[in-house]
Amino acid sequence: MRSDEVELTSVMHGEGWGGAETPAKAVARATADPVWARRLILGAAIGFMTLFVLLPLAAVFTQALRNGVRVYLAAVTSAEARSAIRLTLTVAAIAVPLNVIFGLSSAWAITRFDFRGKHLLSALIDLPFAVSPVISGMIYVLLFGAQGWFGGWLADRNLKIIFATPGIVLATTFVTFPFVARELIPLMESVGIEEELAALTLGANGWQTFFRVTLPNVKWGLLYGIVICNARAMGDFGAVSVVSGHIRGLTNTLPLYVEILYNDYDFAAAFAVASLLSLLAVATLIAKRMLGGRSGHGVVDAELPVKEAA
Amino acid sequence: MSIEVRSVDKRFGSFVALDDVSLSIPSGELVALLGPSGSGKTTLLRIIAGLETPDRGSVFLNNEEATTRSVRERGVGFVFQHYALFRHMTVFENVAFGLRVRPRADRPAESEIQRRVMELLELVQLDWTAKRYPSQLSGGQRQRIALARALAVQPKVLLLDEPFGALDAKVREELRRWLRRLHQELHLTGVFVTHDQEEALEVATQVAVLNEGKIEQAGSPDDLYHRPATPFVSSFLSSVNLFHGRVEDGRVYVHETPLLVTPEKTQSTAAVVHVRPHGIDVQLKANGKPGIAATIKHINAAGPRAKVEMLTDWGDPILVEMDHQRLKELSLSVDVKVFLTPRDESVFVYDGA
Amino acid sequence: MIPGFGLTMGYTLTYLSLIALIPLSTILLKTAGMGWVRFFATVASPRVLAAYRLTILASIAGATINSIFGLGVAWSLVRYEFPGKGILDAIVDIPFALPTSVAGITLTTLYAQNGWIGRLLAPLGLKVSYTPLGVIVALVFIGLPFVVRTVQPVLQDIEVELEEAAATLGATRLQTFNKVLLPALRPALITGFTLAFARAIGEYGSVVFISGNMPMRTEVVPLLIMTKLEQFDYQGATAIALVMLALSFALLLTINILQRNSLRHAVG
Repeated sequence: MRSDEVELTSVMHGEGWGGAETPAKAVARATADPVWARRLILGAAIGFMTLFVLLPLAAVFTQALRNGVRVYLAAVTSAEARSAIRLTLTVAAIAVPLNVIFGLSSAWAITRFDFRGKHLLSALIDLPFAVSPVISGMIYVLLFGAQGWFGGWLADRNLKIIFATPGIVLATTFVTFPFVARELIPLMESVGIEEELAALTLGANGWQTFFRVTLPNVKWGLLYGIVICNARAMGDFGAVSVVSGHIRGLTNTLPLYVEILYNDYDFAAAFAVASLLSLLAVATLIAKRMLGGRSGHGVVDAELPVKEAA
Repeated sequence: MSIEVRSVDKRFGSFVALDDVSLSIPSGELVALLGPSGSGKTTLLRIIAGLETPDRGSVFLNNEEATTRSVRERGVGFVFQHYALFRHMTVFENVAFGLRVRPRADRPAESEIQRRVMELLELVQLDWTAKRYPSQLSGGQRQRIALARALAVQPKVLLLDEPFGALDAKVREELRRWLRRLHQELHLTGVFVTHDQEEALEVATQVAVLNEGKIEQAGSPDDLYHRPATPFVSSFLSSVNLFHGRVEDGRVYVHETPLLVTPEKTQSTAAVVHVRPHGIDVQLKANGKPGIAATIKHINAAGPRAKVEMLTDWGDPILVEMDHQRLKELSLSVDVKVFLTPRDESVFVYDGA
Repeated sequence: MIPGFGLTMGYTLTYLSLIALIPLSTILLKTAGMGWVRFFATVASPRVLAAYRLTILASIAGATINSIFGLGVAWSLVRYEFPGKGILDAIVDIPFALPTSVAGITLTTLYAQNGWIGRLLAPLGLKVSYTPLGVIVALVFIGLPFVVRTVQPVLQDIEVELEEAAATLGATRLQTFNKVLLPALRPALITGFTLAFARAIGEYGSVVFISGNMPMRTEVVPLLIMTKLEQFDYQGATAIALVMLALSFALLLTINILQRNSLRHAVG
């Protein structure tokens, strides 16, 4: 047994919250923290997480249901709520597939070829993480807004991008395009190129190789990336807020709708809609955990972008 | 410092690492804990160090009960298999670590620390690496630094966990000799874990062979090699040809062929017989002496001695190691029939099941 | 050789240009059209400076708090066994997954004068909503996973032998932590801090509700940009945004360098 394996099993049997150990293990092990330190650190950690995560989560649901279940259901099934749900789903349904194709394509280009500027390309994919969500939305306003570059051109043709669905789709796509790529790139890097080369020597063409060899190898990582990308696409607030114009019933996604209800002092409804989004977040986390193991993530998230949904 | 373990048990979950193990190590000895993976040797070492606590039994250091003493208080130097050097500290800082963490009262002055560290680095012939980082050193160098670091706090016993396991053969040989010399110079009590029987027999002054959590035999290398007490020890310390036979009237028979050995320990009539390949006399004809008839099947002459694979007349394979000279003398080649007489000191007889 | 270079590179570059590069370039071009004088006048005006100051200071505070407590959370998750550990591990990611407007309204409600937490703090004279303290609370929330998830894998990979070696050499637990573990964790802590900080300076959704957005007092830069946009002061907005972008890119670069450096002394 490796000594660290030995240590792990010792920990499993010994070091608990209350320090309850068998008499033989009552002697402090070389790397065990003193009981008072253990209590302090664990207590602080649990307290911190309770304060900052558990309480807010609990608050969402309590506030949502505070006026009763009927009010809750009315809030989440109202016409405006339904149109917000529709819009959120539509945006995700467009942005995610587009980003999947981008992710596959950029991962293929980066991991299967060597070319000058490969690192630059890889770094560019991280761009949205360096851009504040408000700025992410703003750039499209500058392009397509009434006073933007294409503003006049669009107005002449009666085309609306800003303050309409296309703008929201664009902003969401920008904010979420790294996710699938960042999942696939290290994965395809580690899977390696041998199988594809083997397929080629056996006579397969590019597409066949891609669909029959590459995709099956990365399917869990791809799924993982899609789950994260989707969560961001449905949950983005800051970028979408800038481009949407907040037109009720038309250009409100669920996160925006929450804001509107709240600003109207309709708190129960705001939290009701918020609870839907919270359930989506929890579902995303569960999906992440289930897929994480199979896509090589283990328990810990290695992606860590600089910026995520706002 | 003398070490004694008494009736130590240790389990990890359902895995029994040590089963009622007792061992006595007199002061000044360099003891090898020898055995295959999973035999419990590393666990025993760690229990002596205080890195593990036994489920049952006790540890005595210098005749004082130390079972409940923390590792910090035991005054042991420990050298880990993969060195465990602190990678963000220089070599100097690594070696000085034990001195720097002493409580204010016991801490030597900075100049004293400086002197001791450089002295140790000179001892291990690596004083020129003082300002380097572990990542810039080779495996053998890191091992020596790990040793210097352990010695810096003047431990009363030095414990080494497979110290040379991760090194190339050549470096390993050098360091083995070097460790033996160091032990002779410093007169420390030392215990090291190894799975390499050659290493144990060459370096240690005492050897304990462990198997499946028990000590099979403990004694001087000489003792163990020439008088292995169990089949396990015999086959672990040397390559052996294994036969089943029987004991009758003071004689050992392998397939009706008597081998002239007076059994000392064997009571039952069934026996397990170990014959070492290099202790077999080869003749072309049986000249009155009892022995084994065999046919040569394969000769491998590329090595310091020739390894000849043969098939006995009753169908068991047997490996014989012989000098190239003898090979030529007898003009041996494949399919030649020979007559084998194992020398007494190369035959070991154990109770058969 | 493998086929598809042309196709994938072509698609990738086109997509990137259309979605990201061209839109981003509008910022540069817009500010270029401003001229230096107007640019500095905008960026250095009192209200904008106040916003920068609040944003940066609050982000530092949030990231620092996250570094300290995040280390404790990571330590507990890696080293201790306790009931509910799996749940604790899972909820660390909630701030990643939760839309920021949800976080925003929830935190505001919690810390309002009559909220669950607010009412406990009121007798102590602590007002969180509509104060810079509220901004810090929001920034702690959204930065939480960054430190924990950066430190966790590093902590997990630290070989037990290092701590055992320190113990055999006579170090106390505290000495082992300070001299052996902390230096090994330092790169991860710094990276985590920087990630949390970079995230915090651009944060909009979770801050905008709890801060009250009072100019010169609790107005953060992203909100200021939003306000300017609503007033159609595009040039003002882009000028402020450009400074933000420069800072963000510098941070991204730092993180990249830090991560490459941490691989240098990596051999054991």
